[in-house]
Amino acid sequence: MKTKQSSVKVLDVTLTNNDDFVTFFDRNYIVFQNHLIVLHGESNAFIEKYLNDKKLNFMVNAEFKKARPTKEIQAQETQTPKELPKKEEPPVLEHKTKTTLKVLDKLVRSGQELNIESDLLLLNRVNSGGKININGNLIITEIVEGSIRCNGDFMMLKSSPKANIVFHEVEVDNKYLTERLNRVELKNNEITITPVLKETNWG
Amino acid sequence: MGIVIAVISGKGGVGKTTTTANVGVGIALNDKKCVVVDFDIGQRNLDMILGLENRVVFDMVQVMDGEVGLKQALIKSKISPNLSFLAASQTKDKSVLNSEKILKLINDLKADFDYVILDAPAGIETGYEHTIEFADRAIIVVNPEVSSIRDADRAIGILDSKSQKVKDGEEVFKYLIINRINPKMVKSGEMLSSEDILDILNIPLVGKIPEDTAIIDASNQGKPIILNKKSEAGQAYERIAGRLCGNEIDMQDVENPKSGILHKFKGMFK
Repeated sequence: MKTKQSSVKVLDVTLTNNDDFVTFFDRNYIVFQNHLIVLHGESNAFIEKYLNDKKLNFMVNAEFKKARPTKEIQAQETQTPKELPKKEEPPVLEHKTKTTLKVLDKLVRSGQELNIESDLLLLNRVNSGGKININGNLIITEIVEGSIRCNGDFMMLKSSPKANIVFHEVEVDNKYLTERLNRVELKNNEITITPVLKETNWG
Repeated sequence: MGIVIAVISGKGGVGKTTTTANVGVGIALNDKKCVVVDFDIGQRNLDMILGLENRVVFDMVQVMDGEVGLKQALIKSKISPNLSFLAASQTKDKSVLNSEKILKLINDLKADFDYVILDAPAGIETGYEHTIEFADRAIIVVNPEVSSIRDADRAIGILDSKSQKVKDGEEVFKYLIINRINPKMVKSGEMLSSEDILDILNIPLVGKIPEDTAIIDASNQGKPIILNKKSEAGQAYERIAGRLCGNEIDMQDVENPKSGILHKFKGMFK
């Protein structure tokens, strides 16, 4: 017998009407591509076809033993998950990020942790084991192998397969990042990733 | 005044002590006065690799405590009159070290020698911090594998924040040695290439050492591999020692050894 344990992220959805469901998933289906979507309530053929078309994994009326408190899950059912942190952010961003920019050409080595309130332009690598926590905007022109926690309006990164990147408490999957710089930003409560500088070679 | 070079790696077992011994011998053979100091208190090994284990009478801790004079504790190697050795204490542990005593010892050594080479203990604990505290330069030894690179990266981070030179606003100059390169595995992509390692660590390379089984025997016998002129690793250490003494020596491509007919022929008789 061959077994492999993989961790699965689960999104619980309680169905009320089809339109709400479609508007929510039209905006956010990219985020949930690696998730298992568990539908509660009465499922119907329309919703199942929609999920199949988007290539999302789903189950109907399954119960899981949840490690997370139910409160948080309820919040996710009704709102997009990104709305939660957003409430606290704006005051920090307003007066700090727009006035200061820090430029660093320093390797962030394993075990080093940068805690930054302003914006940061980093012209060097973040090595495995290094960490950046930032409340402003972030641009890194080299590869990242450590972890990034960014709560700014946007960040720009290259494809970084070994990195752990979290933007507004949502993990950014490397498969949406291209080799060149990508702009990751929060627009209308959803995270959009767009490649930038298509013609410019930064190499 | 001499130059203090700390040999560090972060991870254990990558070849710090072997490198210290060979680089020390190499520098001495380049006609520079050199002392190698074992800072791995409680776990000394350098005496064995240098073949001096039966000549250790006094150790570094006794010198620092003023029980014996420095001249008494220094052991002259038979390999070269330029090479001296100061043993670590095998019975004490790292807690006996303190900055004042170390500074005095290092200043005394700097007055007498051109090069003072310190063999750091593995890890990043106080023993390591004391080793790098007064170093002017550092040799970072890594193996081409991810855990060694990450540990070295961490060790460099500590070096850049805790050494006295950095606190004074200067920089500790760093050299990288990539040890145990297996050319076949690099070619097949199983082992990290030097370019990748240099990208990650971003410090200048001083030499690459191919994997060589003769090193084990050399260590057991107490004859540093650098004395074995036929060994590729020995030749690599010789070049490194030359570079550290300021000689311009071209980098050899140990990852792509020559594969001529003569070389293959030689390989058959190995």
